[in-house]
Amino acid sequence: MLRIFVILLGGVFLAESVFAADDLIGDPAVGRKLASQCRTCHGLDGYAKIPIAPHIGGEPASYISGQLKAFRSGERKHEMMTVVAATLDEQKIVDVAAWYASLEAKAITPEDIDLRKKPEVCVTCHGEDGISLAMDAPNLAAESIVYISTQLKAFRNGKRKHPVMTAIAANLSDEDIRAVSKWYSAIELKINTP
Amino acid sequence: MKLNLFSTTVASLALALSASVSAQTNLEKLSSVQTTGTSFADKLIDQGGSKAAQIKKNLESINLPDGFKISLYALVPDARHMSVAPQGTVVWVGTRKVNIYTVSDRDKDRVADEVEVFASPLDFNVPNGVCISKDGFLYSVEANRVLVFPAAEFFWENPDVAVGVVVAQGDLIPPDEESYNHGARVCRIGPDNKLYISLGQPHNVSPPGKIDLYQKLGIGGIIRMDRDGNNREVYAHGVRNSVGFDFNPTNGDLWFTDNQVDGMGDDIPPGELNRAPGMGYNYGHPWYGGGTVVTNEYKGVTPPEGIVHPQVEMDAHAADLGMTFYTGKQFPAKYKGGIFNAQHGSWNRVKPVGARIMFTALDSDGNAASTEVFADGWLDDETGEYSGRPVDIAQLSDGSILVSDDFAGAIYRISYGM
Repeated sequence: MLRIFVILLGGVFLAESVFAADDLIGDPAVGRKLASQCRTCHGLDGYAKIPIAPHIGGEPASYISGQLKAFRSGERKHEMMTVVAATLDEQKIVDVAAWYASLEAKAITPEDIDLRKKPEVCVTCHGEDGISLAMDAPNLAAESIVYISTQLKAFRNGKRKHPVMTAIAANLSDEDIRAVSKWYSAIELKINTP
Repeated sequence: MKLNLFSTTVASLALALSASVSAQTNLEKLSSVQTTGTSFADKLIDQGGSKAAQIKKNLESINLPDGFKISLYALVPDARHMSVAPQGTVVWVGTRKVNIYTVSDRDKDRVADEVEVFASPLDFNVPNGVCISKDGFLYSVEANRVLVFPAAEFFWENPDVAVGVVVAQGDLIPPDEESYNHGARVCRIGPDNKLYISLGQPHNVSPPGKIDLYQKLGIGGIIRMDRDGNNREVYAHGVRNSVGFDFNPTNGDLWFTDNQVDGMGDDIPPGELNRAPGMGYNYGHPWYGGGTVVTNEYKGVTPPEGIVHPQVEMDAHAADLGMTFYTGKQFPAKYKGGIFNAQHGSWNRVKPVGARIMFTALDSDGNAASTEVFADGWLDDETGEYSGRPVDIAQLSDGSILVSDDFAGAIYRISYGM
């Protein structure tokens, strides 16, 4: 059962524009070809084929490239992604990110969803429907319960680190995590190619 | 342009959760034989429509030896490891998500009638492993918990099943060692009536600092315990991530597949099919990445004595998963006593390989004699696209075999003759 989340903002989420750290520009067409090594798990259109992989079609490019770089540097670890990211240079990373970011993610919230279970603590950045509202936040719509809960637990136990998520996850019980995961996994996701 | 909401500090972020005490969980209720109030309604998975038609069409391109036939048995979302009820009432199917399914074939026309969610009031987390004892106790092994369902063949139709805890949440492995990808367990009841469970280790290659801990706990190994969870011990170690094992019915040997190290190249290291003639052997991880290929991380390091190398070296990265000894009478004599195993197919090889059913015959000493492709055609050689990815094999009482596929979300049946 999801408890009621209350977030006391205290002027925290100040808007701030983003400047890219480097000036590499991703080419979606090149990225699409590179995505042949992503598709068995994430799908060529970014709709995941296995439960432990997230849907990445229509994700913010900065989120995708940021995570690939984190896997490459070892800051984020995963049995498969650490191996994949080691083979990618900066240009390949921005190309792959450009391909998946060029797709359009559309969330469809089921009519019978229980609005009392809306995870207030998540929606500012991840959206009520799981479509990201922040450059550094992934879409969560239709992600598997297993994926979302695994990531939240990784933030909670320190295996995965993030300035905001580490603090949020620290306060979540297993039941809270399950409830948040259920909310977003219940939302349907359609990914449209341009 | 989107705002970068995350780049600011969280020093002043205060998060308050209501302090309400959580109600008794459904697991607690069912363990003390209370009801949860869950209705019987609409947990059925649709078995027809365009999806079934497309899968049947895809099966036309599957290659099998002469005389064999493959057909669609059931649509089961995310279908992973299977366990056939001793009295033949149902097949339980695990997933890497949050559901276990029951598949029933009441009229015995060898096509499933109903597929439904099992024990729906319970919250599972990667309930990949399901195995039933001869006396009808079903075990579910999740990433970090083991439950038992007594008289499962009797109770399965009611969402409120009888359930007990064998290994409590967080006690199978330390939660810090929970893995992103190697958390799909497999279980079986051994000839000694103990519960055997495979525990993948959570790295591509285990780091040196973890070896002692993992050997002690059986992470990167296969453990066994009494059916009530007591007397846990490590049966096999030095295993990277085994997602399939079975016991040789003629001599009780444990055989297991093992997924090998990634990132060393497309053609090395080989996948493995291993034989464990007893307890306590080391199968080589992390010193060997598969077969006798030394991992980059352990080059120049002397491995421990007595490492057992695989009986069969499979194609690199083909991902050998579920396996079963064939004991039926339906197939030609050459298959009796041999091993069928599923290859899930590679995920990072330039030219994909796998998505097949392999068959390994044994010799009179109980060693592997020969391995051949039994079924393939789920992988399009030209486009590199999968139309299915086999996970596990189970045998029905009539001697036909079932193949689960978590990519297509289906179970197929392979039969011979008629």
